[in-house]
Amino acid sequence: MTETYEVKIEQLKKIIEKIEDGTTSLDESMKLYEQGAALVKQCESMLAEAEVKITTLSRDK
Amino acid sequence: MDWFNTPDEPPAVTNAPLLVSELSAIIAGLLDDPRLQDIRVRGEVTNYKHHGRGHRYFSLSEKGGGSTAAVIKCVMWRSDADRLAFTPAEGMEVVVSGSVVVYAPHGAYQMQVRAIEKAGLGEKYLLVEQWKKELSALGLFAAERKRPLPAFPARVGVVTSETGAVIHDIRNVIGRRFPVEIIISPTAVQGEGAHTEIAGAIRRLTGLMDVVIVARGGGSFEDLFPFNHPDVVKAIAACPVPVVSAIGHEVDVTLADLAADVRAPTPSAAAELVVPDRNTLSLQLQELKVQMSSSLFGRVVWAKEEVTGLRDRLRPQRFLRKLDERKTGVADIADRLERGLVTRLERERLLLAEMRTALAGRSPRALLARGYCVAEKDGAVIRGVGAIAPGDRMKIRFYDGSSLVNVERVDHDGNI
Repeated sequence: MTETYEVKIEQLKKIIEKIEDGTTSLDESMKLYEQGAALVKQCESMLAEAEVKITTLSRDK
Repeated sequence: MDWFNTPDEPPAVTNAPLLVSELSAIIAGLLDDPRLQDIRVRGEVTNYKHHGRGHRYFSLSEKGGGSTAAVIKCVMWRSDADRLAFTPAEGMEVVVSGSVVVYAPHGAYQMQVRAIEKAGLGEKYLLVEQWKKELSALGLFAAERKRPLPAFPARVGVVTSETGAVIHDIRNVIGRRFPVEIIISPTAVQGEGAHTEIAGAIRRLTGLMDVVIVARGGGSFEDLFPFNHPDVVKAIAACPVPVVSAIGHEVDVTLADLAADVRAPTPSAAAELVVPDRNTLSLQLQELKVQMSSSLFGRVVWAKEEVTGLRDRLRPQRFLRKLDERKTGVADIADRLERGLVTRLERERLLLAEMRTALAGRSPRALLARGYCVAEKDGAVIRGVGAIAPGDRMKIRFYDGSSLVNVERVDHDGNI
């Protein structure tokens, strides 16, 4: 899940870049913004809900 | 007074007795020799006493041929003894570091000890030095080998004892900062064969994690010794993912630390290094959110400006200009038309006047004015004498009046 957090942040940054890029249409920018807002929400809940998980390997191997 | 370097010139007062303290000072001066200062001496601990104030008293003996061949009294002050990593015991082979001094109150020379290591430890130090050279030659400590830590590890491998404070600290820090999966690869961290276990524990994690922490709490040089072993160093170097080491206290540097990609001063610090802090991440996320909103806002403002610009361009100024041009044209035409009309009208008027003049010339009045008269009988114009007979009454119209006349005679022109 942390990998996807990183991926989501990267996506978010790309979306912002695209919105800032003058060649993206306003329509497209609005759509991108919606996508970005969804990503932000997902990331926020990821940060809020994460829990530590512990596995202990066997020594026998 | 220099008693020794000037033997040819004996002191002036040779018979005056020395004070004991003076003699002691001379002896102390004699012992102030580089060969007796800051030296290491190997021997067996005998007569070991742990004084109530914390000082240690003992003798360092060397046996030869079944009996004691040589002995030197040793004292270790509390300030130095507190740093001892182990408790010396009777019969222990040790190497002491210190200087030979005179203790005037006892009239005895003794070794003032600052450090004690177990005999054999020296060999271990040498071994570590040797390993360090060999492994360094293999390039295992090279700075260019160091890999950056992943920003967002999903799984963190921890090679350490499964009991004790180390794993507890790591778990706490990771849980607080950014909870991920922790995979513990348990191992003995000291003692015989620990190095094999540690190396095995590191290898066992291969393919399971994104970053590895190799950790151990503080301990003596001997306790940490397995972490100097080439097996461990090679396992760290061969680890496919970055390794963070946190072995012993910050002052203890093992070869494992040198081989690790990052060395952390403590296990907790290692845990802090491997996972991001979620509060910081939260903050970054908020910043991205704000940035995204403001960039969209900027985009909207820009679009608005664009529309305004387009609207300006769309405004019928050109059309108006064209219209103006046309208007001018029309006005011109109208002007010309008007001017043409006026001219024409004038001409017409002139023509009319001419015609009127011409017409006026033809009017009966004008004829009458020239002296002609019109004769009328019974209201009709008399065109010839055939229309009248003597005794008729006629009306003669002049230009300025008329008169009634009686016809007396009628003469016809002969040729008619």
